[in-house]
Amino acid sequence: MRRGPVRPYVITGGRSRASRNVLEFESLVRTVPGAAVDPTALNREQQAILALCRELLSIAEVAAHLGLPISVLKVLVGDLLDLGAVQVLPPVRQAEQVPLSLLEEVLVGLRQLR
Amino acid sequence: MASVSSVEPTYLPSTVQGAVKILVTGPFGVGKTTLVGALSEIAPLRTEETMTTAGAAVDDLTGRPEKTTTTVALDFGRITLNQHLALYLFGTPGQQRFWPLWEDLSRGALGAIALVDSRRIEECFDVLGLLEEQGIPFVVAVNVFPDTPAYPDEELRAALDLLPGVPILTCDVRDPDAAHQLLIAFVDHLRAAAEELP
Repeated sequence: MRRGPVRPYVITGGRSRASRNVLEFESLVRTVPGAAVDPTALNREQQAILALCRELLSIAEVAAHLGLPISVLKVLVGDLLDLGAVQVLPPVRQAEQVPLSLLEEVLVGLRQLR
Repeated sequence: MASVSSVEPTYLPSTVQGAVKILVTGPFGVGKTTLVGALSEIAPLRTEETMTTAGAAVDDLTGRPEKTTTTVALDFGRITLNQHLALYLFGTPGQQRFWPLWEDLSRGALGAIALVDSRRIEECFDVLGLLEEQGIPFVVAVNVFPDTPAYPDEELRAALDLLPGVPILTCDVRDPDAAHQLLIAFVDHLRAAAEELP
């Protein structure tokens, strides 16, 4: 979508924070197929998100593809999540300390690439 | 609706259950975007983030003209590590004026690769200081430019005032194989550091 005369904060109804704090740059988003969502309750950007996320993409990727700031994306996806229109997979790292097993999994994955 | 990104989205496998992220940081022009591009399995993407210098916890920007807003471009890429796990690489500007963005970007990051241009060492002080202050595990990676002088590690370490546990690696970030080896060495350092924890 083109950057029109509408400022990002108008799209989000003036909010710069999502309704819940579970969304990060690397959170993964997927549209819930067949979710009963009233299309008139969604703005143009939210409809674009649902159309784009027919398969898994991160919040950052959706923002880049739609040309919206990530902070705006978080608010819009937060609303879609509340409506049950999207599924969100939170980042794998949740704890303060990175588990050794996660780092080993990353390392094995990287070494197998080449 | 015309998309800003000319690239069609490359979706993750449907089996992926979550993602981790790594930051690639350093001063302007040091090669962050080149490194992200050399490592990414997708064409690197860019988003523009609006940032208020008065802090991130601002609910309503309208009617507050005294706040300065800055736009910062973030380039990022992706590696699918296995059928369950994806890795995102975020090129993160290291200048002090972008620090409000760091809170969001660094939360949950495994660590950071701090790119250094040894011809312009003083430009790296900001970002190294921030990484130390925030306790983000990192390595220093000297980007080898054609006219990069070969400093001994100890000289660089002293010039950068690095703690002993921080490795100094070198890499021509334009070379995908060298970039890949750098990423492996970085994660191996994170793993070794995690192993040493009680």
